[in-house]
Amino acid sequence: MANLWRVYLRVFLTFAANSLVRDMSFRANFLIQCISSTSWAVMNLGFYLIIFVHVDEIGPQTGWGKYEFFVFLGTTWIVNSLVQTLFMPNMHEFSELIRTGNLDFALLKPIDTQFLISFQRIEWSSLANALLGVVVVAVGMHQLMTRPEHPLPLSAVTIALYLFYILCGVTILYSLMISLASTSIWLGRNQTLYDFWFYITNFSRYPMEMYRHGWGVVLWGFFTFVVPVLLVINIPARVLARPLYPDPSVAWPLAAFTLVATVGSLIVSRAIFCRAIGSYRSASS
Amino acid sequence: MPDEPIIEIRQLTKTYRVYQKPEGLWASVRGLVRRRYREVRAVRGIDLTVEKGEFVAFLGPNGAGKTTTLKLLSGVISPTSGTARVMGYIPWKRENAYRRRFALVMGQKNQLWWDLPAQESFRLHRHIYGLDEAAFESARDELTELLGVRHLLQQPVRELSLGERMKMELIAALLHRPEVLFLDEPTIGLDVVAQHNIQEFLREYQRSRGITILLTSHYMKDVSALCQRLVIIASGGIHYDGSLSGIIDTFSKHKIVTLLFAEGSFPHAAERVLAPYGEVKEVQPPRIKLRVERTKVAETLSALLARYSLDDVSVEDLPLEDVIAQVFEHVDHQEEARVG
Amino acid sequence: MNVSAVFSWLQRLRTWWVILKISLEERLVYRGDFMLGTLMRFLPIITQIFLWNAVFQAAGKSTIVGYQFRDVVAYYLLTMVSRAFSSMPGLASGIALQIRSGEVKKFLVQPVDMLTFLLAGRVAHKLAYYSVAVLPFALVFFVCRGYFNGVPPVDVLVAYVLALVMGFLLGFFLESCIGLIGFWFLEVSSLLFVYMLLSFFLSGHMFPLDLLPHPWNRVVDFLPLKYVAYFPAAVFLGKVPRELLWRELAIEAAWIVVFIVLGRLMWRAGVNRYSGYGG
Repeated sequence: MANLWRVYLRVFLTFAANSLVRDMSFRANFLIQCISSTSWAVMNLGFYLIIFVHVDEIGPQTGWGKYEFFVFLGTTWIVNSLVQTLFMPNMHEFSELIRTGNLDFALLKPIDTQFLISFQRIEWSSLANALLGVVVVAVGMHQLMTRPEHPLPLSAVTIALYLFYILCGVTILYSLMISLASTSIWLGRNQTLYDFWFYITNFSRYPMEMYRHGWGVVLWGFFTFVVPVLLVINIPARVLARPLYPDPSVAWPLAAFTLVATVGSLIVSRAIFCRAIGSYRSASS
Repeated sequence: MPDEPIIEIRQLTKTYRVYQKPEGLWASVRGLVRRRYREVRAVRGIDLTVEKGEFVAFLGPNGAGKTTTLKLLSGVISPTSGTARVMGYIPWKRENAYRRRFALVMGQKNQLWWDLPAQESFRLHRHIYGLDEAAFESARDELTELLGVRHLLQQPVRELSLGERMKMELIAALLHRPEVLFLDEPTIGLDVVAQHNIQEFLREYQRSRGITILLTSHYMKDVSALCQRLVIIASGGIHYDGSLSGIIDTFSKHKIVTLLFAEGSFPHAAERVLAPYGEVKEVQPPRIKLRVERTKVAETLSALLARYSLDDVSVEDLPLEDVIAQVFEHVDHQEEARVG
Repeated sequence: MNVSAVFSWLQRLRTWWVILKISLEERLVYRGDFMLGTLMRFLPIITQIFLWNAVFQAAGKSTIVGYQFRDVVAYYLLTMVSRAFSSMPGLASGIALQIRSGEVKKFLVQPVDMLTFLLAGRVAHKLAYYSVAVLPFALVFFVCRGYFNGVPPVDVLVAYVLALVMGFLLGFFLESCIGLIGFWFLEVSSLLFVYMLLSFFLSGHMFPLDLLPHPWNRVVDFLPLKYVAYFPAAVFLGKVPRELLWRELAIEAAWIVVFIVLGRLMWRAGVNRYSGYGG
């Protein structure tokens, strides 16, 4: 068992190293990608700064003030950038492998195919956004911890929980992504895959109390319990920034449910992946 | 069990559903609602047994089912019906134990990292197959030595020529020392020298290691240089299974008779005059080539010798390519007859 | 007009018709792609509705810089229409690619002007796309009719339609200029990215430009970008004072002329440079 872990770790590290060597041989490209992804993020921040020119809080009595929202936004970048670094290029590659029939090679290897497909490439340049996210989270937290009334406490446990829930978030998004990518085995060319991904994850980028009234409740339910993307950023951001809602009676069940959702989506995506591979037809040449 | 054949295929069938893209605008609109599919039977109930250490060639026109058969045996795709066992494993179960023991090389696809030196891809293979350092290095050194590509290990794969890349692909496939090797058009698109190199290597490697190889190819050269056994696949079925020489006995009903006429005896209007003896293939005075039915060669020759004065006579088999082309045509006709 | 001229026009019309038909068929054959794609375009609006609802509730007042909550939603829906006209996916990168691969040479030999040819193709693509996509658009607007204050008066409506058509032209000529930079600059994609970024932020695609604090709201007023998303929507919502309507449209027309002329100049200079290489 330990040996098996070592094999997988070795393979992963080799992938990471190979990707880095490759990225470094196109340095200009690498730099452009770093700059472009961070500038999108900065622009997004600009949008919220403009909103906070006009209001103090997003949603009445939610506690998502400017600096709480910094934490939220920073967390969004961290989670998304991890997904983009680790999985985005692989999912693109996966569709490409299906189209060209090169998936054959992955199926020949004496190692789990899903693992091989999921980690082959690592896009180091996307990590830039995570760094930016850490900075924004740090700025937000600093402001919250030093505010005159009710300065926010921060403990090692909180940080550990935060990191753990970020991991959960990344896992949930990964599961969604591989499920979507697997469908290209059935649907063939699938350009809308990315759009679909973007639109679905779009729902995760806002504080969940936004959806708490009117027909938003339906969306809230759907994106919490069916496709649990709403937990991806909300839960870790909440652990750290502690906005007003939800109160502890809801917060803990929600945090526990996030664990269930993480494991559940991993299992479901695995099932989808395996079914998809079963109906792979291998394009000739 | 030493007597167990290494590959055993029984009634293997693979059927695809292909989406038919409708022609025209209105049909496209209807395509939104209802799609039409066509069934393609790529492999139709193939039976085949291969013993350990054999080097078998699959020969057949495009779309005959050769590659599909190899993919089924590699477990890349699952069959519609039928069974296959390779070294006792069912390929499409894709057990790791099986995947460690064979390799598939496809001439038209590459698995090496394009932007990195082949060396790096090899190292990755080492980890994926869990090879220990010493075994990996000795295998790599031996293979690079045999193929003469040691100096290219550090070059990005995209900078290699097609032939060099193919050699690297072969090395990558052989690093874990597979006992069964599937080769799908390994020499496609290569120049004559590279083709020859790879053939030499394969022959040498197969002989020294006693591994079992299944090869598909378009090139008769590959086949005649390498394989003791030939399997002709066309339209998803096996039409011949036997030795290379046997194919001529089985399918070739004709021989080529070349006549060298003595000075001044070259017949006037040769084409017409000689037609009764056989089909005139070539007229190049003083030489004439005739295609004669096998059973009538002796009879025809004696008649010719009685009538003309000849300096030389030679009798040859039809070139193998021609014979095989005839076989393919034959299958096509059968197909048409069946469909029509 | 003589016979051959008529004939060549017919020929051109037929080419155009074929392009249109092929684009339509292409749209239809990938049914899954197309249906999902068109409907999903509206999904981000849903989150915008919730976001702005939360913002307005927290603001404790019914308007922010003159926008009511429903105006903001209507604004986002209308920018979708603006962008439907003005966005030119693949235009600039396509031109740059043709330059790099040497494919532009065929426009030096054939009696067709590249930009005209591309414009015709673009019109065909847009027509094909939206003749099919009009259904989902209509559906969404019908569902969201509550966010609108009815239909604006006729002169505003006319100005709106003009703004949309001119938005299409502006988008086309502006982006083709960016593509033509490919004559001098190999790496157009990064440049294009900067443009997309700025355009997303400054065209009003992301939020009503009126929200921008001073001095930025003045800066965007002097840029052409606002005409590709913000302006048509603002016209429809009556945010542009009636007396300024025609002046603004005239300024937009001037911008279009600027980019047409710029494109011509760039094309000529680029072609000269090209043949200078003898490549």
